[in-house]
Order: sequence, then C-alpha cells, then structure tokens
Amino acid sequence: MSENLEALYGLPSEVKFCKKCVISNQRPSSTIEFKNEKGEKKKVINFNEEGICSACVYHEEKDKGINWNEREDKLEKLLSQFRSTDGSYDVIVPGSGGKDSAFTAHVLKYKYGMNPLTVTWAPHLYTDIGWKNMQEWMHTGGLDNMLYTPNGILHKEMTKNAFHNLLHPFQPFIVGQRIIGPAMAKKFGVKLVMYGENQAEYGNAIEENTNPIMNMDFFSSDDEMDMKFGGVSMKEYIDDGKYSKNDFAPYIAPKKKDLIDAGVEVHYLGYYLNWDPQECYYYSVENTGFQANPVRTEGTYSKYSSIDDKIDPFHYFTTLIKFGIGRCTYDAAQEVRNDKITREEAVYLVNKYDTEFPDIYFKEFLEYIDSTEEEFWETVDKHRSPHIWKKEDGEWILRHMVSS
Amino acid sequence: MNKKRIIARIDVKNEHVIKGIHLEGLRKVGNPNEMAKKYYNEGIDEIIFMDAVAAYYDRNSLTEIINRACENVFVPITVGGGIRKIKDIQIALNAGADKIAINTQAVKDPSFLTRASEIFGSQCIVSSIDAKKISENKWEVYVDNGREPTGMDVVEWAKKVEILGTGEIMLTSIDKEGTKRGFDIELYNAISEVVTIPVICCGGAGKKEHIADVISNNGVDAVALASILHYNIESINDLKEFLINNKNNHIRL
Amino acid sequence: MIIAIIDYGVGNVKSIRNAFENQKAEVILTRERETILKADGLVLPGVGAFSHGMDNLNKFGLVDIIKDFVKTGKPLLGICLGMQMLLEESEEFGNSKGIGLIKGKVVKLPIKQSIQYKLPHISWNEIQSKKIKWENTILDNIEENSDMYFVHTFIAEPNNENEILSVTKYHNHVFCSSIKKENIYGCQFHPEKSSKKGLSIIKNFIKIVKQ
Repeated sequence: MSENLEALYGLPSEVKFCKKCVISNQRPSSTIEFKNEKGEKKKVINFNEEGICSACVYHEEKDKGINWNEREDKLEKLLSQFRSTDGSYDVIVPGSGGKDSAFTAHVLKYKYGMNPLTVTWAPHLYTDIGWKNMQEWMHTGGLDNMLYTPNGILHKEMTKNAFHNLLHPFQPFIVGQRIIGPAMAKKFGVKLVMYGENQAEYGNAIEENTNPIMNMDFFSSDDEMDMKFGGVSMKEYIDDGKYSKNDFAPYIAPKKKDLIDAGVEVHYLGYYLNWDPQECYYYSVENTGFQANPVRTEGTYSKYSSIDDKIDPFHYFTTLIKFGIGRCTYDAAQEVRNDKITREEAVYLVNKYDTEFPDIYFKEFLEYIDSTEEEFWETVDKHRSPHIWKKEDGEWILRHMVSS
Repeated sequence: MNKKRIIARIDVKNEHVIKGIHLEGLRKVGNPNEMAKKYYNEGIDEIIFMDAVAAYYDRNSLTEIINRACENVFVPITVGGGIRKIKDIQIALNAGADKIAINTQAVKDPSFLTRASEIFGSQCIVSSIDAKKISENKWEVYVDNGREPTGMDVVEWAKKVEILGTGEIMLTSIDKEGTKRGFDIELYNAISEVVTIPVICCGGAGKKEHIADVISNNGVDAVALASILHYNIESINDLKEFLINNKNNHIRL
Repeated sequence: MIIAIIDYGVGNVKSIRNAFENQKAEVILTRERETILKADGLVLPGVGAFSHGMDNLNKFGLVDIIKDFVKTGKPLLGICLGMQMLLEESEEFGNSKGIGLIKGKVVKLPIKQSIQYKLPHISWNEIQSKKIKWENTILDNIEENSDMYFVHTFIAEPNNENEILSVTKYHNHVFCSSIKKENIYGCQFHPEKSSKKGLSIIKNFIKIVKQ
C-alpha cells in the first residue's frame, strides 16, 4: 500500500512503469496547448490490466493487425485527389528539417510526385547542427521552405510565463507549431497538410490512431482572445498594455469554419506508412544531407532526435520534474517498441541518462527567459510532485526509477 | 610480394549484425556468424567483430560469437568494443580471437595499451581510433563509439599509440562511415606519413573505385569494409579482381 | 590416430584445434608427458615473445618432452613462435635460449621500418620453394607463390640451407617462412589462419602423421 502522498496535476498517485517499454503511467497525453492553464488536470497515457501502455498495444497492432499495402493504396488515393498539375504547391509539410519532416517532405515529392512546401515554425534558438540540417534539407534534399520566425520579444515573454506558471517552457512554441501547417495551407490555397508520425504512436488515445486526420481542436479556435500562452490569455497580454492584437498574428488559430470552407485537411503520414524513426534517420542522411549531432545529446543516449533547438533540453528537463520521466525515457521507450533495443537495455540507459542536467545551453536558456539561476530552481522545485520526488540529505531524488 | 588486406567489419548488437551511419543507428542487417562464414567462403582476408553497443551498456559480450566463428572461419579474427581490462583481453583471446581492438580505454588510460602489448604481444593489440574532421587537415579523436569528443588531435594520438606499443591502427572516419560516399583520403594521407605500424582504413566504401583510391597509398595496409558488403553492393571477388586488374594492386586471390 | 597440441598458455590453441578438427583429425590439448609421447603427431603453437614462450615451456618441463617426442621419429609441427623456438636462440630481449632442435638463431627482420614497410609484418605474403621439393611434405600440392598469413617481427635463420622448406620476401629481404628437418616441420605463417590453402597444409601434416 503506497503512502498517502499528494499527486500534483491530477496525476495517478501510484507510479507504474509499462512492462514492455519503459514509459510510466505519468506520461501526459497531447493536449490542446492554447487551452493549457495553471493547475489543470492532466490526461495521461493509458495502461491496460496487464500493465502494458497503450503505445505498446498500438505497436503490436501495427506489427500484426495492419495491412500496410492497403494503407499505402489509401495514401495514393488521397494524394491523387490533391496532386497539382499546374506547378502549384499541393501539400504543406510542417517541420524543422529534423529526420521526420525531412523524410516526410522528401518522400512525398520524390516518391509520390507531390509538390510540397515545407513550413518551419522557427525554433527558439537554432543549434548549429539544427540550422545546418535545415539548410541541407533544401540544398541537398531539393525542397522549398518557408521559415516563419515569430516576434522574439513576445515569444520570449510567453516562454518565460510558460516556464514559471506551468513549468512548460515549450507551450507557446507548440501552439504556433500546431497552427502553422493549417494556417499556411489556408494562406497558400493548399488543401492538404501532412505531418509525420501520429502522436498516438506514443500513447495518445487509441482512437486517434485509426484516424488519419488530426483533430481540428488542436489548431483552430473560435475565441482567440481566450487562447492562453504561458497560462496567460491573449486578452490579458493586451490589457497589460505592452502588446496589441497585431503582435499575436502568428498565434491566431484559424477559425474552424474557415478551415472547413477552404477544404483544409490535416493528415499523418504515419497512418499510411509503417513509421520507424530510426529508418527516417537513415533515409534523411542518404537523401537530405541530414547529420546527427556530433556528440551525445544531454539527457539521453541518442544523437539524432530533436537536435535543432537549444531550449529543447529544457522541455525534457521539465517533463522529468513534473512527471518523473526525462528525454531518455521517451527515446528508449520508442526504440523498444520499434525493436531496436531490449527492455533491459532501455532500463539501463534510462537509469544512466534520464536525470542528466542539460548544462550546455543553461546560460542561454536563463537569458532567454530573463530569469536568474535562483529563480529557475525555485520554480522547478515548486513543481515537484510529492508522489514523484523526495528530498534525501538535501538532494532531490526520484521515488521511482524504472527497473527490469 | 606482401599483399594489402581486404577486411570485413561486422558490427554486432546482441545476436544481430547492425549497420549505422556516422556510428549512429542500429539497423539490423544479418546474423554475425552466418555473415562471417559467407565472407570467409568468398575470400575475405580478415574479419573484425565490433561490439557496437558496449559503450552504452558498460559490458562486452562477443565471446559466444567468437567461439562459433572460430569453428568455421580460418582467417584472422579481431574483436573490439568495450575492452576495458586485461581480463577482457584474455577472455577474448581464449574464445579464439587473434587480435583485440581497443579505443576508449586507451584514451582514458594510455598505459593500458602498453601493459596489454607487454602481456599479450603487440601483434595482437590493435588501436582503434574514431576520427571526426573539425577543420582542414585537422581531426578530433572521439571515444564511446563516436559519442564523446576528447579534444585530442588524431595524428598526434596515432603517433602516440605507436610509441605506447600497439601493433596496428584501425582508423575510422566518423564523417564517412556508413555513407557509402568514399573514404576520407586526406585523413589516411595524414596518418600514413607519421606511423610505421600497419594502418587499416575504415569508413565510407560504397563502390570499388573508393577502395582503389585509398589502397594506392603506400602507407595504407588494409581496408575494412562494412556497408558495401552487408548491403551486397559489391562481391569480394569482383572487388579483388578490379583492384588487381585495373589498378595493379597486390591483393590475395 | 591422435594429434597432441601443446597447451602451455601461449598461442591461439583454439583456432589450431578447430582447424585440425575441420580436417577430420582427433586432437587433444595437453602438456602431460605421457599423453604427448603417446600421440601420433605433435603441434607446438605460439605467439608473442620468444623469452615468454620459452619461460612457459621450461616452467612445464616441456623442452625435454618435445625433444623426446622428436626422437621417436613421429612428426612435429611448430607454428609461428612455435617454429622459432625450435632454433637454438633468439636475440629478442637480449639473448634467450631455444629448444635447439634446429641449428640457427632467431633475429629481427632486418628491414628498415618505414611508412611503407611496417613492422610487425602483418600481411598475406607468398611462399616459394628453395632447395627442398614440396612433394610429400606439408606443402605437398600447394601452388608456388601461394599467399599465407604472417604476423611477426622476428624470423628464424637456420644454419643449414637444406632445412629451409620455403622462403618469403618482405621489402628487400628474403626470409625463411617454413622449415623441414626429417620429421620436424615449422611454419612462420599461420596455416590455421590462411584460409583454404592453410587448411590443406594442415591436411598434409595429418597425412604425414598417419603414415
């Protein structure tokens, strides 16, 4: 019987780890980010009675229960509906030039004969390798790209608020990132938007996996003033006097009705092709000039996942603080499901790397969110749920680490 | 006339042969013992087994593979990956390996190379060096299977390992390996000017011409091939014939 | 018919055993006097330093056992360091005394170590006949100029030319790559690592043992 410890964010009070991969039952599902506010209860990944997470269940189904030839036929049918004949763009591929979007855009153009326009919601702070890969995507991969960088003054303030109010510095970024695909589609008169893999691969509701189309709720809103950035609504930012509605142009989600009228559809390529992140790495190295990080990414063993934004490591650090699982857990869980590593190996790696602090860009992150180191740790410590963390000899220790 | 050697490099994870790019990625491409046997029957001169994930898991586990390989493969076998103690070397040799490749541990503790050479003989100690280009004619030594930079210059380190007593050097270009776009010729030119122990080039072979380009260097004694063989791009025999007929190289048929 | 391989803690005995078994011989790894003398053929393996090899042979009292075995007229095969130790002495690390069954000494390959001609000599290299015809020896039916696998820095120099079974050239120096003196054979190269032709040499030795 576990002690009666408080569990923040409405998380399950008993911490459990999937018997097949290494993810814990504290992992939050994808949420509509612009509705994200302080203190809200989190929906988490589902575990079945055998203690297996829904992502693993989905993967078993993926390996055995899906006819991928049929799915590819569906893809061909879908694409032929939208394929342009007059040289105009016919599909928007949102992405940063990482292995997944590199694969998606390149394969749509060169295998399926589409005319993609890639659109990038700029990372907060490009890493050197991220920038290089982005350029190579165009120069070597042979693709067109629009890089959209939002007003940094506002973005920084929103990120700062997100960090201190939600301990979720990436929240404003994710809002913009989700919107840009459909928003650009509408602007360019393109109907089809194609993402890479479905987040459901990682444990969102199973129903989302059988549906190739992204739920419109994620990127459209009928009440913009109520959209929240860093836990603060657009109305509040404007009322404070520093900003006007003009500044929020990049974040204003298209209205549902407008998207429907324009015929915009957002699909996941991962529904139509048997998605394997590692194979995306190989493909992008061979076709779009992608290069892995020359050194191991902090907090994990990997070198090629999510390497373009200096703020990225802090996203994972905050998941470690709030949910007890860091970057390594995410990477390792995915590789176990895709049969690249065994669960024992994953356990070893998680125990070795998950709690590693991302030192390299710490100073730049503090500058970006205009906070001192003291303020950083104060906020971090406030967000440690008692059912996940305990203090021993002045050090914070995780109560539970995954084991074999 | 002494011959230049064509070597197959087989990276292993558990019971699979894997092949990455830039020492990253674990794509499975076959079974280690079957592959070794196949290459032996096709005329390979030597085989190198590398434990691709020893660095991740602080272990090394090729003993079983070597045991089996020695039963069917009668050319020299080198083993590397996670060799950290004298005991590790002894175990590998007892399992049937002829040479042992050492990378990370030699950088951490250079005297390890000397001790190993004194105990087992320098002819069975290979210094495995992973190099990443940092600027024109400058390369940095990486350890932990290409994950951690060391700040050391590759040419200086190569000179040093010869002095420490190693018998051979295997030099892998991280930038080229797995890409099939050719070797880092400048790297091998730079090294071969400063060492008098055998040098094995590794990383980047995608077609016969690549190998011909690098092997014509007098200071190069052997090439280690992976992708070009594992993905069946060239057969060992075709490759050898090409090197002999077109480029006048001295190769064993 | 059983062939004994001397197990004295030096050399890759596993590979030699595998090679002999591959050629259908029954093999035993041993350093016991009785077992060795009873065997129909004897193999002396070895890699590494001459003095280290001799120290181990002496430690186990094997020098006399080997000499006694040779007196019986049954065939002996020395491989690499095993061949070198059959000679009288080596200049490696000062002066070490060998078994002395072959008159001559072991010296360092007298080539200038350079960026083209490396030491150790690690490569496949050709063997050629000298004074002895290869028929009915361990090199029976082996093509002239066949490549064998060498890995060494030192070479054996038998005093008697007629005991040189094959020679090999490295850089500008021709050295003795195998020897034969009555029932004593030695290979500087590793037949158990020289692929199919190497296995033929092992097969030939087995044939000789059977006679």
